[in-house]
Amino acid sequence: MPEKTFIVRIKRQQRPDESVHWEEYELRYRPYMNVIICLRDIAEHPFTRDGKESSPVTYDANCLEEICGACAMLVNGQPRQACTALVDELEKPIRLEPLTKFPLVRDLQVDRSSMFENLKRTKCWIPIDGTYDIGPGPRMSPETQEVGYTLSQCISCGNCLEICPKVNENSHFVGAAIVSQVRLFNMHPTGKMHAGPRLDALMGPGGIEDCDNAQNCVKVCPKGIPLTESLAAVNGQVLRHAVKSFVFGK
Amino acid sequence: MSVAASHSRTSYILDKLQSLSGVIPIGAFLAEHFWSNSYALVSAKSYDNVSSELQLIPWRIFVESTVLWLPLLFHSFYGLYIWWMGKSNVLGHPWMSNWLFTLQRVTGIIAFAFIAWHVYTERFVGRGMTAYADVQASMMNPWFVTFYLIGIAAASFHLGNGLWNFACKWGIAVSVKAQRAAGWFGAAVAVSFTLMGVAIVLGLHYGKFPLGGYVQ
Repeated sequence: MPEKTFIVRIKRQQRPDESVHWEEYELRYRPYMNVIICLRDIAEHPFTRDGKESSPVTYDANCLEEICGACAMLVNGQPRQACTALVDELEKPIRLEPLTKFPLVRDLQVDRSSMFENLKRTKCWIPIDGTYDIGPGPRMSPETQEVGYTLSQCISCGNCLEICPKVNENSHFVGAAIVSQVRLFNMHPTGKMHAGPRLDALMGPGGIEDCDNAQNCVKVCPKGIPLTESLAAVNGQVLRHAVKSFVFGK
Repeated sequence: MSVAASHSRTSYILDKLQSLSGVIPIGAFLAEHFWSNSYALVSAKSYDNVSSELQLIPWRIFVESTVLWLPLLFHSFYGLYIWWMGKSNVLGHPWMSNWLFTLQRVTGIIAFAFIAWHVYTERFVGRGMTAYADVQASMMNPWFVTFYLIGIAAASFHLGNGLWNFACKWGIAVSVKAQRAAGWFGAAVAVSFTLMGVAIVLGLHYGKFPLGGYVQ
């Protein structure tokens, strides 16, 4: 009996300024394979379907259990984590492309550092110490903890940016993930003390106002974060902050 | 994808005004406009009375320009800028909300073209002195009727969906449940406005007065 195989098509590019080409690989099927296993198989034996020697495909991956966000890519046109994209559930041939809303590094690897930069610009952290120990912060209610826990699961994978029609070369929308993180840190009893600067950052160009509610983000979030609720909640926060600081001053 | 280091609020304020102007005064005017024109379904005389009353409002030019022309121009041209900033991907990802986003863009353009033509013919060529007989005569043209029906449906959808978007963008509807409720409200507005507009156009086209039962 011949071995069961399947085809993987990969969009490849050596460097951002080099031309794109597609390569097809025929891989040996085993049960429970995911896309990362496919890429490892190719690295072990980098020969295309028609027998031409190629090179291992470059991609980012780390945890392999959907908690690091590194392996986000387009699998059959949908932004998702390669580690939880199971071959059994995918339409064949499987089509792999890099995310398009981030600068390409090589093959399936992109540079997602803009997300980290935006987390810094929106001050998505909680200052726990000054020049001296400032003691324990106020306690959080279980209700707040519950909402906060859901929001805290964001892995900055960038799927929500990839799927957003308001993120492109004409618009520099910061994206749902960052807005949701602002909501998280603004609901924390200590983080709340720095809510103003976070909201100010979201008021500039590329800020929250760019969202026009296509609401695709929430459909591709691997962590099931209620991004559309975060966007509406932070929209209200930014508005109240804008009115308050205009009427009463800082 | 970045939030600017400078905290200029200009774009925020312009975006908020674009969103607000669609509801007040433009959405409110659309409601008023459908209401006044519904008199075409009552009787020719009441239509002409309402029309001449509207022409005789005090401070007309001032009211027209602050309540209509400026908000409409701003909403349209800033809306075109917002349209340019977006890129629909609905074909690859045909979800309901993504369709609504795309339709909002398309109906905005259609409504813009229709309103520009409508204002030109009725307000500038017709000098805003519309009488039932003139409107009815123009509604004999099937192309007119078609363009009106398309324009009315586009404007009504744009308002209904815009109200839902407004509720999300102003933090009025936050939870998924509240957003769904706002969506149903917007859908009700879109459908009822479309039906009202279609009734008015067809009433004029066929010269019928279905709401004229009380006229002595």
